[in-house]
Amino acid sequence: MTIEKVLGTPLVFAFLCLIPCSKRMTRVIFTAGAILAALGAWSFVFGVSGSPRVFAFGGNLMMDSLSAVFVLLITGVGVLSSAYAGGYLFRDGETAIPSVKLRRYAFFFHLFLFTMLLTVFSNNLGIMWIAIEGTTLASAFLVNTDDKKSSIEAAWKYLIICSVGISLAFFGVILAYYSAVARTAVGESGLLLNWTFLLENARQLDPKIIQLAFIFVLVGYGTKAGLAPFHSWLPDAHSQAPAPVSALLSGVLLSCAVLGILRFHILTTAATGSNFSGTLLVVFGVFSVMIAAPFILEQKDYKRMLAYSSVEHMGLAAVGLGFGSAIGIYGALLHIVNHAFTKSLLFFTTGHILYLFQTKEISQVKGIFRRSPFLGAIFFAATLAIAGMPPFNIFVSEFLILSAGFQAKKFVACGILLVLLSLVFIGFLKHSNQMTFGESEKVPVKPKSLVMNGVLLVGMVLILMMGFYIPGPLQHLLQEASRVAAGGASL
Amino acid sequence: MTTETLASLIHFLGILLLISSFWILTSSQIRTSIRAYAAHSFFLALITGVIAIANHIEHLLISAILTFGLKAIVIPHVFFRMIRRLGIRKEVESYVNIPFTLLLAVLLVFVSFYVTRDGSFLKPVAFGECIPLAIATVFFGMLMMTTRKKAISQILGLLLIENGLFLMAVTMTFGMPLLVEMGIFFDLLVAVMIMGVFIFKIRDAFESIDTDEMTGLKG
Repeated sequence: MTIEKVLGTPLVFAFLCLIPCSKRMTRVIFTAGAILAALGAWSFVFGVSGSPRVFAFGGNLMMDSLSAVFVLLITGVGVLSSAYAGGYLFRDGETAIPSVKLRRYAFFFHLFLFTMLLTVFSNNLGIMWIAIEGTTLASAFLVNTDDKKSSIEAAWKYLIICSVGISLAFFGVILAYYSAVARTAVGESGLLLNWTFLLENARQLDPKIIQLAFIFVLVGYGTKAGLAPFHSWLPDAHSQAPAPVSALLSGVLLSCAVLGILRFHILTTAATGSNFSGTLLVVFGVFSVMIAAPFILEQKDYKRMLAYSSVEHMGLAAVGLGFGSAIGIYGALLHIVNHAFTKSLLFFTTGHILYLFQTKEISQVKGIFRRSPFLGAIFFAATLAIAGMPPFNIFVSEFLILSAGFQAKKFVACGILLVLLSLVFIGFLKHSNQMTFGESEKVPVKPKSLVMNGVLLVGMVLILMMGFYIPGPLQHLLQEASRVAAGGASL
Repeated sequence: MTTETLASLIHFLGILLLISSFWILTSSQIRTSIRAYAAHSFFLALITGVIAIANHIEHLLISAILTFGLKAIVIPHVFFRMIRRLGIRKEVESYVNIPFTLLLAVLLVFVSFYVTRDGSFLKPVAFGECIPLAIATVFFGMLMMTTRKKAISQILGLLLIENGLFLMAVTMTFGMPLLVEMGIFFDLLVAVMIMGVFIFKIRDAFESIDTDEMTGLKG
């Protein structure tokens, strides 16, 4: 496998999905594409884990262990999401979606996967920007799958707010390029925007310009990553999108934007030799958790509750990266992985809940457990996991991030976080307890498709396992990735 | 061409660019705004072309031609088709009236010149006087996006921001590498088309394209 092939698979399947054929056939192509993309990507990632960097496309694309982690995430959540969407959107009966629309949906789904993979494979910071803007464009139609008033509103806000945010990030990219043009004598202009080149020549770059660039990138990609106060599109888009799309948005799209910030953070740390960017990350991270906590406590819509929880977790990841020590960075990367799987599982369960109760209001959903013990158990366990309860995976990474903070003597930040995290915990417990165990009459339920229940089961097993044991190759990859992320500091 | 005539040519084009961005912001009809945007892009392409020829940079000349083709011809054309199909007759609606918009715009121009008065921090490769113009253009785009009600004006604001950033890149680093520039043009075209599709969806669902009707999602 090569980078080109890994990138090519979802692109080819995007167009294959457009072939007019029966609904069943489209569904097969759609899901098979995601599975093939994942198999290819995983064999590629674990095949080359020995060599630190693999380049392609004249050095514009690159995979190091940091991008490898994100490739695993994108394709992993992609498979789960496409399998779930196969049951959720390709349903029959009265509410069936016309097949023309489904084909378009499948097309944009694969295109979305492609743009996200391109984002994490970009070595050229300009291409990374193009790819991130591409993710917005590809996913806008996915957010608005049902053409309802509220979905159109959410998709429009998503398009506009993210495009403006991203244009600010472009200013940062221009500044980074400028710092390279101004200080280096290399004539090859195509090379100057490459992250690897900038990192190797970080000492020659003007630290002031790079700091300015980082601020713009933090605001720009921070909008996309859902960091407060630029998160206003996020709860709308996540709550209006269909469940499998919300899972992708929250699980991996936000993480891709965090990777964009991380690349600039590494660069800034190397160029300035100070913890300027790290401090900013901690400040914005803590602020995000602070904004998210009250909204989770007082939320009336369960999908919005999960969306605000994404703001919270992206904030936590930013804090971990900002603390900068080996434990902090490792914890933050692990947190991104854990969050991706836990949150996508939760969004899948909302697909089931919406089907059972026909409402997104928390107060209208009572007694999931009585109606469907399987769904109730998984939903309740997953909310405990996302709230940071041991023995689930999120607890482990939150613990690592906080201990990195205490080690770095950031007592104020850690203290605030501890208070806020317990607030979030209370909020989740309050809502999910009522939703799962509240009083309700027993209504006979038509069981959901086997595949969709299977997706929930796989997700549950994954998050339980990650709490006790991280598989060897993944553990190795995460350690390598944290070494790359800490590379800036050691130069 | 001597350096002096070149500098005054860029100076002249810069003034035309600024005037056209005022024109976008203050015209009371959406059609006029689009024409003004086409003019803005045309002057942007001219500035880029002059800088490219004067410094013998081929890839910049290509982006100048692309800017002219895409932003001065194709995108305005797409817009005109869109408003014909939407049947917009009404004038531009704004939360802020036009005289006050003008006042804010003048203020933003002063701010742009003020923040870039210290030339030692940023030493652009081309003409430094374009930097405040670029920043002012970005500000104008943001002003447009925040004060206008019509979804179509918001797209125009976004395009204006993009024009400002393009000018910034041209003056600071002779533009981005060609590969990146191509990607940005592609993104821009796709963005306009997708937003265009959404405008029709908004019209069908809300029975107008005023975004101040969008108040359904809160909290």
